[in-house]
Amino acid sequence: MPGSFRFLDDIALADMAFDAEGESLPALFDAATRALIESLADPVTIAEPWQHTVDMEEQDIETLLFEWLGRLVYLKDAQGVVFHRATVSLNQNDARRAWHLHAELTGAPVDPATQDLRSDVKGVTKHLYAVTQGENGWKARVVLDV
Amino acid sequence: MKLNTDMQVVKISDYLWEIPPSEKPDMLVPARIYASAAILGAMDRGVFDQVTNVACLPGIHRYALCMPDGHWGYGFPIGGVAAFNPEDGIISPGGVGYDINCGMRLIRTDLSLSEVQPKLELLMTELFRRVPAGVGSRGFVNLSRRDFRDVMRQGAGWCIAKGYGWEEDLERIEERGCLDGADPTHVTDYAIERGINQLGTLGSGNHYLEIQVLSDNGIYDRATAAAMGLTGRDQVVVMVHCGSRGFGHQVASDYLKVFEKAMHRYGIFVKDQQLACAPFRSPEGQDYFGAMNCAANTAFANRQVITHQIREAFEAVFGESARRLGMQLIYDVAHNIAKVERYRDGEWLVHRKGATRAFGPGSPELPACYRGIGQPVICGGSMETGSYLLVGTDRAMQETFGSTMHGSGRTMSRAQAKRTVRGEQLLRDMKQHGILVKAVSMSGLAEEAGLAYKNISDVVETVDHAGITKKVAELKPIGNIKG
Repeated sequence: MPGSFRFLDDIALADMAFDAEGESLPALFDAATRALIESLADPVTIAEPWQHTVDMEEQDIETLLFEWLGRLVYLKDAQGVVFHRATVSLNQNDARRAWHLHAELTGAPVDPATQDLRSDVKGVTKHLYAVTQGENGWKARVVLDV
Repeated sequence: MKLNTDMQVVKISDYLWEIPPSEKPDMLVPARIYASAAILGAMDRGVFDQVTNVACLPGIHRYALCMPDGHWGYGFPIGGVAAFNPEDGIISPGGVGYDINCGMRLIRTDLSLSEVQPKLELLMTELFRRVPAGVGSRGFVNLSRRDFRDVMRQGAGWCIAKGYGWEEDLERIEERGCLDGADPTHVTDYAIERGINQLGTLGSGNHYLEIQVLSDNGIYDRATAAAMGLTGRDQVVVMVHCGSRGFGHQVASDYLKVFEKAMHRYGIFVKDQQLACAPFRSPEGQDYFGAMNCAANTAFANRQVITHQIREAFEAVFGESARRLGMQLIYDVAHNIAKVERYRDGEWLVHRKGATRAFGPGSPELPACYRGIGQPVICGGSMETGSYLLVGTDRAMQETFGSTMHGSGRTMSRAQAKRTVRGEQLLRDMKQHGILVKAVSMSGLAEEAGLAYKNISDVVETVDHAGITKKVAELKPIGNIKG
């Protein structure tokens, strides 16, 4: 089942915050990724001429999600793009116990004339940041600096 | 009085309140909040929690301060000011903010409203075309990595050397638009790749470029206004609010990670992860200081390139040179910064996060034209209500490490603002009220609606009555460009 997310009203007045959740870790990553992508622009209005692959590894899942979301913000500025879709897969290295993320991103160069652009997210913060596992799966709280 | 805290808050005066060190374990100094009773009563819990957290940081001197536009921030509250002993105190990215050297710039003109109004639509279109704004916007200045490192080291001076401004602009920029100690070797490739294409861009969020009018009855101190080239009579000025864009944010994010690890080595424990810090004299502290100064200089350069673009837009629309149009810079001041500054009781590393330097008359750091009146302080309000020009005082030098407010501060979340008002409707309503808006994003515009902000006049009255800055003029918007 795909994960879900919702933007939060009552924290980070000047910025943006969201809760993401999923039955599994891939579903959680998918939900958090969609929340960030939709913060930047309406993905329906973004074509897919730009394609990019990301591979990352971190020792724990909390750091991996934080660094992955930060990588999206970096790519937005460094490549001058907004995103249509991200397909994310996760694997844990049996020997080193490290988590590996592989993502395939699509999107397009920023074009205000054809795209519904939203907030220019500047970064992912550690404020209230948490990834937790409960009875129904995984949850993350993320505050974005805009 | 009901406050959003359980801590004891002692009244010092009608506009100053103190939380004693006994109110939280590990507080080294009292926390002080500048506010009227009404503003204090409306302050969110985060202000009280965060300003007292700051009071626990090693090496803090005298007080942890919060200005009346204070609200919850990351680590320090927005509106936070704290000075640390440079020898044994800390430096913290949480005390500077993610947008390093976010700041304000004000440019005067000899034009009046009656001259600008007929060409306002054309002028706004020209400005919107020349000053890129919004998600992923890129500037017109093509920089090699070597050029970008020069920008980091030289700040606004680099722009003047390249023809993006006038030599006399420099004396009217805090620190002449260039902080010493910028060291590009301490900046990551990620930060460089985020920032190299962004010189001369506004960004989004609460950043803007605004055409404003100064009416006769908007002047509170005619002599001081005149010293800044402002005479009223519906005089048109231009205000810019922006910072170091993605570059500064990446520098802050990179060093928060470094400091999270370094703190344990130095035996520093903080009450909030976003207050991660290191001793100022430690290798990590000095590396961050070198990188932060690079971001600060890039922000000065960013506002300088934007000024160049503004002058060219006015030249194109009015068919006169910017000099003939009287487009001198009034001042450029940072409100997210950490700097070593000299005061009567010594040299301190002053952190200002959503707070403006406000040096008083006689300060040797001020240019000759302002040494008699004090430093101009530019405070932006919401795009619907207007902004203020103030001036620094000797009292600020004694009480607040030469610091004051920076803006009005939000009272409503971005999500709630978007649910309350639609960008397209806001655009039409503002036009009816005589304010022309050009925005990249309609949802971004709705997030910045005036109803989402405190009344800036209440905040300005507080700092004026407290004596840490004095009102000079009130500026009303007629055109606003947003990302």
